[in-house]
Amino acid sequence: MASPPGSRNAGVLRVRAPVSPRQSAISAVGIWVVFFGVWTLANRMGWVNPILVPPPDQVLKTLYTLFAEQGFASDVLISVERVLVAFAMACLVAVPLGVAMGAFPAIDVVLSPFVSAWRYLPAPSFIPILLMWFGTGEAPKLALLFLGVIFFLITLIADHTKEVRKELIETALTLGAGQRVTVLRVMLPAVLPSIVTAMRQMLAMTWTYLVIAEIVASTTGIGAMMMRARRFLHTDEILAGIIVIGALGLVFDMAFAALHRRLFPYLQESR
Amino acid sequence: MAEVLLHIEQLSKSFPMPGGRLLTAVENVSFTVETGSVCVLLGPSGSGKSTILRIIAGLETQTAGAVRLRGRPIAGPGRDRGMVFQAYTSFDWLPVGKNVEFGMKINGVPARERRERAARFVDLVGLTKFIDAYPSRLSGGMRQRVAIARTLANAPEVLLMDEPFGALDAETRWQMQELMVDIARDSGATIIMVTHDIEEAIFLADKIVFLSSHPGRLREVIVPDFKPAERIRNKERVLELPGFGQLERKIMRMMREEGERV
Ligand SMILES: Nc1ncnc2c1ncn2[C@@H]1O[C@H](COP(=O)(O)OP(=O)(O)O)[C@@H](O)[C@H]1O
Ligand SMILES: [Mg+2]
Repeated sequence: MASPPGSRNAGVLRVRAPVSPRQSAISAVGIWVVFFGVWTLANRMGWVNPILVPPPDQVLKTLYTLFAEQGFASDVLISVERVLVAFAMACLVAVPLGVAMGAFPAIDVVLSPFVSAWRYLPAPSFIPILLMWFGTGEAPKLALLFLGVIFFLITLIADHTKEVRKELIETALTLGAGQRVTVLRVMLPAVLPSIVTAMRQMLAMTWTYLVIAEIVASTTGIGAMMMRARRFLHTDEILAGIIVIGALGLVFDMAFAALHRRLFPYLQESR
Repeated sequence: MAEVLLHIEQLSKSFPMPGGRLLTAVENVSFTVETGSVCVLLGPSGSGKSTILRIIAGLETQTAGAVRLRGRPIAGPGRDRGMVFQAYTSFDWLPVGKNVEFGMKINGVPARERRERAARFVDLVGLTKFIDAYPSRLSGGMRQRVAIARTLANAPEVLLMDEPFGALDAETRWQMQELMVDIARDSGATIIMVTHDIEEAIFLADKIVFLSSHPGRLREVIVPDFKPAERIRNKERVLELPGFGQLERKIMRMMREEGERV
């Protein structure tokens, strides 16, 4: 078998070899087909207890009835609202603080020691005290979500702002810009794409804290529904809840990606 | 070339080093820059060229000595001393035209005048076709043109350039050098340029300030007076002038001596 020169390593796995869109589409669908295939097979063959692991088609049916007959949509809406409100509040605080820390070392040396210390405290450790302070309404949940992301968000934004190239800042100064103009008209637009990317990452984290908040301390929302289902051994409802959380996370992530493309068209134009 | 625009007087700068020692980057350097002239700071790397330019720009403060612009000591950066850096400084979120308008906009030039001036300087650097394009679509040389147009459109009294063509390929580089001749001739701008390219220095300079290194001291002020008073745009023609080769060899010898000193 004479092989042409250079073809010695021409198998499927070649370092950094580009993949056709077709191959990547088939691969993406394929992995899920395998996943659901194994799951179905496990149920059919009786390898798993159907009470603990219901078959996929039953989970999908349950998902439908949850929405159609059991008013699950209102739980979903409440969860989405909590994430969005808490996340918006976190951004409103984090963007100005982070940019100010990244722009002015005098502000950074004050806030940095404070913010970094809080980052190492797991937000869920505040749940008991938040419940005592805020009672059982929306406030403790929003506070947990807020605390869970705010310090990371501030740090990320401050770091990105510190990375704005010195030459850009000095160009602004030698064009006659003062402090305010340099920060608002040069540093802020320069760092904005990175800020939106940081937000995208932190939004995913907000979802994590939402589920914790709703499982521990809520009677409404997707997490609370899942805890209710647990009491009645409704594993299909729990799995349906997981699917909805995953789907929502994906939708929000895609929305942020689209927003990024929309806001920063100049980044796409680079060759 | 009579009137002196900038006096650099006994300028010294030292940087604190880790361990408490001081590094003397510039020591007792004096020279003048005449209105409408091109002054080139030349010397081996580490001879304090960038430091001197940054002090003139107000981005760095001297340890001793003074820089006076029309007699006034400079204090901090300002629009009267525009700077072009070696690294790209295009504002990527603004199209070319808006990049060029930026300085005028923050300095309160009315929108109409701003647009007209921007169009004129974009044309001067040959980018009219790209006035609405984002900088990310441009090549390195084109981005440097944007930076030059942006600085010139802001009407500084001095244009400061720190190895502006250092990152460009050879062909783009001489095109940019010829563009600088156009700018010096047509806009009458006063230019101070840092380079370590001897050919570039001789081609562009009315006055070469040659610095020696460690610490950066003034070694010699060279006036390439073999060139005619009228600026010549075509680089080969300058290279062909009697006197070019001789000066180039002289400066190369100076560079070599500097290299041997360390
Ligand atoms: N911010 C700084 N801190 C410490 N040392 C510096 C700084 N800037 C320049 N230097 C030192 O000063 C000397 C001159 O530097 P520079 O002006 O950049 O030289 P050139 O531009 O001629 O290469 C070098 O030894 C350099 O390391
Ligand atoms: Mg330098």
